[in-house]
Amino acid sequence: MVTELVLDHLSVRFSLPGATVAAVNDVSLRVRPGECVALVGESGCGKTVLANALLGFLPGNAQTSGTAALTGDGPPLDLLTAPDAVLAATVRGRRIGLIPQSPASHLTPVRTARAQLEEAVRVHHPEGTATRDHAHRLAARAGLVPDDLDRYPHELSGGMAQRVANALALVGDPWLLIADEPTTGLDRHLVDGLIGEFRRMVADGRAVLLITHDLAAAQRVADRIAVMYAGRVVEAGPADRVLDAPRHPYSAGLVNALPDRAFTPIPGLPPLLTDLPPGCAFAPRCDRAAPVCAARPALADDRHAVACHLPC
Amino acid sequence: MVDSPVWRPVPRSRVAAASTARSPRRRLIPAAVVLGVLVTAALVVPLVVDLNQQYVDLASANRPPSAAHPFGTDELGRDVLLRCVYALRVSLGVGLFAALISSVVGTAVGALAGAVGGWPDRVLMRLVDTVASVPHLLLGIVIVAVLRPSLTAVVISIGLTHWLTSARIVRSEVLSLRGRPFVDAAVVGGSSRARVLVRHLLPNIAPQVLLATTLMIPHAVWHETALSFLGLGLPPHAASIGNMINDAQRSLLSGGWWMSLAPGVVLIAATLSVAGLSGVWRDRLNPRRRSELTW
Repeated sequence: MVTELVLDHLSVRFSLPGATVAAVNDVSLRVRPGECVALVGESGCGKTVLANALLGFLPGNAQTSGTAALTGDGPPLDLLTAPDAVLAATVRGRRIGLIPQSPASHLTPVRTARAQLEEAVRVHHPEGTATRDHAHRLAARAGLVPDDLDRYPHELSGGMAQRVANALALVGDPWLLIADEPTTGLDRHLVDGLIGEFRRMVADGRAVLLITHDLAAAQRVADRIAVMYAGRVVEAGPADRVLDAPRHPYSAGLVNALPDRAFTPIPGLPPLLTDLPPGCAFAPRCDRAAPVCAARPALADDRHAVACHLPC
Repeated sequence: MVDSPVWRPVPRSRVAAASTARSPRRRLIPAAVVLGVLVTAALVVPLVVDLNQQYVDLASANRPPSAAHPFGTDELGRDVLLRCVYALRVSLGVGLFAALISSVVGTAVGALAGAVGGWPDRVLMRLVDTVASVPHLLLGIVIVAVLRPSLTAVVISIGLTHWLTSARIVRSEVLSLRGRPFVDAAVVGGSSRARVLVRHLLPNIAPQVLLATTLMIPHAVWHETALSFLGLGLPPHAASIGNMINDAQRSLLSGGWWMSLAPGVVLIAATLSVAGLSGVWRDRLNPRRRSELTW
């Protein structure tokens, strides 16, 4: 059985008093080992909700439809409907790891990095005896020396905390790593280090699902890019094609907003997720909009797919 | 030639974390010495001194402090200092064990309620409200009566009537910590809920639990007095700090101030030194605070 993650028409919505927030709509995506897929889009387009849905971290007022099938190791497991106990025992940390945004706050403040790393080693390798050596190997791989591990989270710099988080994510040897906005707040040098780490993970045969609004970082690390707008994937394809020859006007706008391109932002604001237009959600901001855009475009099932009636 | 830099301390706001000048280090040594002396006296003196604390000498009753009786004698001519030492054994034991029982029960109930949530939380918190609605002296009397009056029964009854505060503290701390990202991170890392509770949540609330336990010790000492006064604790002739202070009240009106002096001083000294030590310990438990200390 091939190991892969297949999202099939995945949607997430939240019920609020008097409103429904359509956070993720009809996302179909495939992630295979040995590739890095970047999910890019503006803040509030549903990227993080999608990540939380895959990790089983949606709040109680959320509803999902579609499937997120994790295959390999027995029958496919739908991450959206699997009970929490199954996710905890077989998926989290073991098949899917998380590389968090703001890693320092993802460490327990009153215990040293070593205590937390060794604890994770004991959880995932209960039969192992050389816990300390194992932790040191993981730390060394992430670029930490053993002495760094004896620090408390508040004594770690942002880059060191990031490396501790990387080491923690790899303890259970997951094949898929979900990185939610990992480059936020890191300077160029640290982003370079993190991107190098992602490439090494991919070279090891792991998959990285990078969720980011940092197109420049996505450009340097991703094999494939999916562009999200208002909860929908509007364009998906090989990274160089999406960035160099974007077909959706929104992707073209994002690329043109990069400092080393035209540096012109897209006019207007994204629509409210509580009040999405029935047709193409981007039409109100689109300079190519035509009457046909009142109908919702489907995402063509193609190597370089686009959901637009009038692609560039 | 370059001048070597002049180092000066950072100005601190009063609102920000305490500076090292206010560190509890000053409390550490006096507190440790006082508590050490009291504990050593309580443990060792009865073993090495061949004196009967119950020795009644009516001829020398109600004597003020003198060379033979440094803290005087009580209305039956018993030496107040010697009785104090025996009383310390009882009271320190009662205070410590009762405080331990109450914190263990309170932490367990509060942590379960906070971490599990839902109906177990509601049931446990209504249990807390129910127990809190009964006067705890009354409930304590019932527990002692059921268990048959003895020192153990007193300890258990104090422990089982005083866990409510720590349960509420622990529950609210767990609730506020539960939403923090490191809890999600531990769950995503594959840790079970029980492990998250024990290894990630409880270490964070240890200082608060410690504080509640410390405050409980002197309270338990007083509570034992109340139970003894009602005839449910120790027999009237047996010495506990509470018993002695209680007995001394009668003599206070006839000028016998020294009878309450020794047990009073011992109780205050023990309470202050336990509080001082726990303050130091609490600071050491907090890594962020600890790294600001210069020792």
